[in-house]
Amino acid sequence: MENLIPTLTVQVFNGLVVGMLYALIGIGLTLILGLLDIPNFAHGALYALGAYLLVQILGMTGSFWLGLLIAPIVVFILSMILERLMIRPLYPVGTNYVLLFTFAVSVIVQELIIILWGPVGFSVLPPTMLAGSVELGLFSYPRYHLFVMFVSVAVIFALWLLLERTRYGAIMRAGIENKTMVSALGIDVYRLFTVGFGLGAYLAALAGVLIAPIRGLTPYMGVDILPFAFVIVALGGLGNIIGAIAAGLIIGVTQTLTTQFWPQGSTITIFAVMALILLTRPQGLFGAR
Amino acid sequence: MGHAKVAKLRPQLGPIIPWVLLGVVVLILPDLMRTTVATEVWIFAILALAFNLLLGYTGLLSFGQATFFGAGAYTAGLLLIHQRVHPLVALAAAALAGGLVAALVGYLCIRRVGLYFIMLTFAFNLMAYFIVYQASSITGGVDGLPGVPRPPVNLQVISWDIRPGVSYYLFVSLIFLACALALKRVVDSPFGLVLQAIRENEARAAALGYNTSAFKRLAFVISGAFSGLAGALYGMLFGIVPIDTIYWVTSGNVVFMTLIGGTSSFFGPVIGAIFFIWLAETISVRWERWPLLFGLVFVLVIFFFRGGFVEVWRRLQALLPRPGRKLEPDRGPTKD
Repeated sequence: MENLIPTLTVQVFNGLVVGMLYALIGIGLTLILGLLDIPNFAHGALYALGAYLLVQILGMTGSFWLGLLIAPIVVFILSMILERLMIRPLYPVGTNYVLLFTFAVSVIVQELIIILWGPVGFSVLPPTMLAGSVELGLFSYPRYHLFVMFVSVAVIFALWLLLERTRYGAIMRAGIENKTMVSALGIDVYRLFTVGFGLGAYLAALAGVLIAPIRGLTPYMGVDILPFAFVIVALGGLGNIIGAIAAGLIIGVTQTLTTQFWPQGSTITIFAVMALILLTRPQGLFGAR
Repeated sequence: MGHAKVAKLRPQLGPIIPWVLLGVVVLILPDLMRTTVATEVWIFAILALAFNLLLGYTGLLSFGQATFFGAGAYTAGLLLIHQRVHPLVALAAAALAGGLVAALVGYLCIRRVGLYFIMLTFAFNLMAYFIVYQASSITGGVDGLPGVPRPPVNLQVISWDIRPGVSYYLFVSLIFLACALALKRVVDSPFGLVLQAIRENEARAAALGYNTSAFKRLAFVISGAFSGLAGALYGMLFGIVPIDTIYWVTSGNVVFMTLIGGTSSFFGPVIGAIFFIWLAETISVRWERWPLLFGLVFVLVIFFFRGGFVEVWRRLQALLPRPGRKLEPDRGPTKD
């Protein structure tokens, strides 16, 4: 009993850390979904690509920080090129084909990862500056986990500033709300789609980089995370960013707590909840619409 | 006189031609590839035809067809292993299981449209996968369900041993032909026509007084039943039900093979299944990373062959000159 409270607190903390990463992935996916109207099946692959680019940069320069900075930017640029050259021509053809295209991209990226980096996977050490634990009174906690939480909060705050406090952010929110109206006002919605897709991909890749020292890397990390990303989007409401943050945290904490007490049921519960919410509250738990 | 007779016979012969071709393909396919692979072709052809009832005929992109395929595979597998049932009983039970699961999933998913519908079918597929994954004491979990037997098909008078690969090939292709005929009857029936009306314009179909949700639900059940049947045949082919049968990537593959064949024709998905399985087998023995090529082919299809093989065929046909065509009234295929 004496051990239970600290254990529980650690689990909740772990849940929040993973939950923040889920939130990053979920925001990216929900942004793409809201703007482009497609469930991006390549989202998991972009997340995995971020993590593998970190490993590549680590191998070349030895600097985690450089990887943290550059890997998501590379994914950002690559996915904007992908959207511009390959996805945009498909918009007039129909959503189904865009969806299938992202499915194909996810297969291709996963196979490329196996070809380039091997099928086995890697583990990554956090940078020396963030190694070890911090004493937090009741328990000690890994320094890297706290760093992840800090970075995620900072990025999400920056994103919030971008979306809520800048002109471009306002256009982006308007694009999620009503594309026809936005284009009628003389704004190039297609350019908005490109940037939105890139931004969503950036967040996925950043989450991949940040999670690498926690969970390690496998070529299948993208396929494994994709279902959770969809759950978060469904829970938060399609295109709802605040909802995605809340849903990410809920899923993160629920997952760590249920694996502690009822490991067999945790994933099933999560997907059952997803189905239930899509059915009863399609606007998500937090949507007003 | 004779000429008039021929002209009269033609429209009756027309619909038979694809079936004759199909019979020929069934006979020559084992000469072109390993018997196991050829058998797999017809199993996936059933699955793709069942899926196209939803995508091509009703306009529903279900991203969870593996749910029903897997439900049938595990039901038949468990019955064959533990109860040693008659193979035809196992197939019937698998169809029933696939239909029941599809009834449930369809009932829930059809309440939503578009993106929500796709995501719901996907969510239920994941749920089914994790149920199978967790219930490893029954299903074998991630290692699959091994030891599925292939008992003889006992028909009172004769008993047919389907354990040899060639016999099983024949068994599967006969079932495939029966399924294809049944599904053809479904899509040509008044029921099938209403489904196509829903695909074209659901609001208008509803305005004509059709309960479109009920039609879509029934389409789901039929599609699920045939998918479950295909799943049972799959488990019996390899003697094991791998967990991949219910994995969402399988759902994606079904979409792929249907699309590559062409959704706009009844037989399109069959061509897609032949191509898909053949390609997968040919490349996978030479190169472990064959899904990469697969993804690339998929992209090519999306960009250049959106109608699949069916569309390519039609374009070729349009290029060829047709002597004497003008003399007859155009009775060409009016399939959508």
